[in-house]
Amino acid sequence: MTDNRHSSPPLSPVLFAGLVLRPLPPSLLQPLLGVAMNVMRERQPGLFERLDELAGNAFLIDPVDLPFCFVLKLDPRTPNLTCIRDAADAGTPTAVVRGPFLMLIDLLEGRIDGDAVFFSRDLTIEGDTEAVVTLRNAIDSGEIRVVEDLLSLLGPLSAPAQRLADAVGAVFRRATADLEAVRSAFVSPVRDKSDAQAVRIRKLEAELAEMRDDLRRLKNSARHRKQTELAET
Amino acid sequence: MAEPLELVCPAGAPAALRAAVDAGADVVYVGFRDQTNARNFPGLNFSRSELRDGLAYAHDRGTRVYVAINTLPEAGNPDPWHRAVDDAAALGCDALILADIGLLDYAASHHAGLRRHLSVQASASNVESIRFYQEAFGVQRVVLPRVLTVAEIAELNAQITVETEVFAFGGLCVMAEGRCALSSYATGQSPNVQGVCSPASHVRYERRGDEMVSHLGDYTINVFADGEPAGYPTLCKGRFVAAGRASYIFEEPTSLNVIDSIPDLMAAGVKALKIEGRQRGRAYVSQVVSAFRKAVDAAARGEPAPACDLGSVTEGQRNTTGAYAKDWR
Repeated sequence: MTDNRHSSPPLSPVLFAGLVLRPLPPSLLQPLLGVAMNVMRERQPGLFERLDELAGNAFLIDPVDLPFCFVLKLDPRTPNLTCIRDAADAGTPTAVVRGPFLMLIDLLEGRIDGDAVFFSRDLTIEGDTEAVVTLRNAIDSGEIRVVEDLLSLLGPLSAPAQRLADAVGAVFRRATADLEAVRSAFVSPVRDKSDAQAVRIRKLEAELAEMRDDLRRLKNSARHRKQTELAET
Repeated sequence: MAEPLELVCPAGAPAALRAAVDAGADVVYVGFRDQTNARNFPGLNFSRSELRDGLAYAHDRGTRVYVAINTLPEAGNPDPWHRAVDDAAALGCDALILADIGLLDYAASHHAGLRRHLSVQASASNVESIRFYQEAFGVQRVVLPRVLTVAEIAELNAQITVETEVFAFGGLCVMAEGRCALSSYATGQSPNVQGVCSPASHVRYERRGDEMVSHLGDYTINVFADGEPAGYPTLCKGRFVAAGRASYIFEEPTSLNVIDSIPDLMAAGVKALKIEGRQRGRAYVSQVVSAFRKAVDAAARGEPAPACDLGSVTEGQRNTTGAYAKDWR
């Protein structure tokens, strides 16, 4: 399940939010990531048990529509998640996972199937395939709810906070669908033309292959005829 | 109303088991986290304690659990397979799915009261073969290889007295199951012994301009154009150049889907439908099991399958009815 194609960011509210967040230093997110990892370790012991076999590996998680990336280091004692500005600062990770932010969250929370988004080429991966498959299987074995788990730390305020988060999430997803419709309206005419050209190219390639076959057969036939003539003389 | 076909659904992890149960599976099939089952993928499958919890969750909701122990034991090392059979029996699973005759014999003699199903890995596809497994090891169900047409299945069912289970959805093998050596040839590991076809440790992808090139071991398996739906890099689904033309020599990356043929399979005397995909996530399990639950119940009422779109979870984003129709003949 690996591909090192670099995804283009989709036109989404996350992309715009990323542009707004760009001036902020990634270190501002670090305390939140630390809490998130602690909550996950506490609530998903089975998941971290499955991750044991990946001890020492590091994964670069690259949301293509945000101006920063995450590095998941599976230190045997304290697995940690770090936010960095530039993918180049991740050193040499075991593998890189790229995709739109909301899709990565959906994957983490098991709302979509990892293979399906890989088959459709929306998810792109590079590096150690086995490590990625292990990470995917481990994550999918748990029932992670990132936002819900974090909000549960708010105690009595967690329920209203969850309702607010659901509402914001719904707005984000609706806006994503609307922006996709806008993008599609702009891109469709170009894509149709490109598809037609691709069909034409495939047809030409098939014709070329047939001509090559014919040529090969003619050459063989000529060679055979020449050999027969030589044998007869 | 006719009796609905039994819906046998995959789970590679506890969360997927719960998803399958909640989505309406009659049965969930699982494997232990080792080479005793044919989906021995990294990070997948069940520990003994996870299976104990999974069994409790399923049984509390009226769902049965089958345990696949369907690889061939290594010569001189039968213990892991014997232990798997003993543990599955002790934990209270509802049936064992077995392929090896030695292991079938072990299960029959040590756990005679536990149902034994013949795995597709045994590749039993004719009357004589199925009768042998029934008479020698008391097999109560045979999972048929994906090489028979619906008419051939009906003919077979008319001549045997064991139940038959057929694959209904998911990844497709074109080779004789249990006898395929392609993965072994390319990587040294096979589904038959190590429980893994085209292991991820031997899979590599390479970017070449806008194309994605997939490799298995030392072999180039496919080149996908930018945006073209992709598939797993197995040799049987490779796109190779022959006579100057690149094409899928054996099989295209596509998934089996017989959701519209359920009434035909019922009429052919099939007992159960199996959904492939223990290596897939719980989102896949929920989506596919829900769709098939509705379709199986509709078929039992004599109604057509409700419309559903499973295209997004299929390999290569395409469906086929595979050998059931054999419309290429």
